[in-house]
Amino acid sequence: MNKQPIVWVFGDHLSPTQPALRQYPNAPALYVWDTAMLARNQLSLKRIAFVYECLLELPVEIQRGHPVDVLSAFAQAHNTNTIVTVDSVSPRFQQHCQRLSEKGFAVERLTPEPFVKIDQDRDLKRASRYWRQIQAVAFTKTESS
Amino acid sequence: MQRAFKTRAELIDYLRDQFPDAAQRDDAISGMRGGRQAGLALLQQIDPKAYGASRNALDGAVSRLSPYIRHGALSLTEVRDYALTLSDNPRADANKFVFELAYRDYFQHVYAKEGVSIWDDLEPYKTGFTAQDYADQLPADILNAATGVTAMDAFIQELYATGYLHNHARMWLAAYVVHWRRIKWQAGARWFLQHLLDGDPASNNLSWQWVASTFSHKPYFFNLDNLHKYSGKQYYDRTGEAGHAIFDASYETLAARLFPNLPPQPKRPQKTTKKGKRRQRPHYHE
Repeated sequence: MNKQPIVWVFGDHLSPTQPALRQYPNAPALYVWDTAMLARNQLSLKRIAFVYECLLELPVEIQRGHPVDVLSAFAQAHNTNTIVTVDSVSPRFQQHCQRLSEKGFAVERLTPEPFVKIDQDRDLKRASRYWRQIQAVAFTKTESS
Repeated sequence: MQRAFKTRAELIDYLRDQFPDAAQRDDAISGMRGGRQAGLALLQQIDPKAYGASRNALDGAVSRLSPYIRHGALSLTEVRDYALTLSDNPRADANKFVFELAYRDYFQHVYAKEGVSIWDDLEPYKTGFTAQDYADQLPADILNAATGVTAMDAFIQELYATGYLHNHARMWLAAYVVHWRRIKWQAGARWFLQHLLDGDPASNNLSWQWVASTFSHKPYFFNLDNLHKYSGKQYYDRTGEAGHAIFDASYETLAARLFPNLPPQPKRPQKTTKKGKRRQRPHYHE
């Protein structure tokens, strides 16, 4: 089994500077057009074109189908069971990760840079309350920048 | 799938061929190009101070970064960090800009907490109606940009052609759909997600819920004066021709008309800020 993982690029992180591509620059990387999602949500061609143009700037192979099936085959073709990706709040992304884990893949979900770092629980009742909670640190530049 | 294209036109032809269902639904391609490079070029042009002063106007100094942020071609933090470098006093000059970025962060956290429940009414409507009083689907005249309400038809056409709408246009259109036409916000949210390049269930749905009042204390609506003020009067037509008479009234009168089951509103604007503006709130960092 190859120790080199594959990188799964999800639609929330279409930058060459995103953590998984940066951390594993030599790993085979894949983006999957989720055909069932496209059909269900009836996305317009202009949305597809915008994302496709983002993908053309990334070192990724582009495939389509069910993400779990396509990723499984891609990982097996590269003789690895480790899939590295960047975390997303998307419920569909979470489902895919769970299914991949159930199929025996080790899914490493890297954390994107948070907008703000705060110690207490976030007050999400209303945006105004959240802003009051974070505004003291929202004007602080990210350490890595 | 193919990665090398000589021209954008060649790419578009390829996509029409590969995604025929999408092309059949709507063949339009936006003038906004995808990709980090295009996003970085826009980022270089931002003016947070001017944004703060003019963002509510259709011709205001908005950034149009939302599609790039939504797909992570630019990260929220790098946009904020860059904005902070543009002023010696960013807490004053970039306040509104950073505030709107924080809105996206807020919506993402709510999405993480609620998951698919963001498709449900997070709270009851505060309109005097229940969810059953609202239609499930968008009618043909809205889908065809043929409502006869000039401003709304223009916004719908712009949505279809460009995949982008100024935030204020989104709010006006959403309020028209939910409150004037009494259609469930979910129908409008699904529709926007089909077309908006920055379509994201979190920002989109929660903003529709804010307009509808299922994620806010009261419904958002507007009147013709508001439309005129922020549209540069391009929709300044009080004649019956424009179909704008439905908006041409005071807030008290409109509230009584749109929400007849609610007790009469006190005779003052719905809610004012220190500057006397009605409450404004973004769908996106537009």
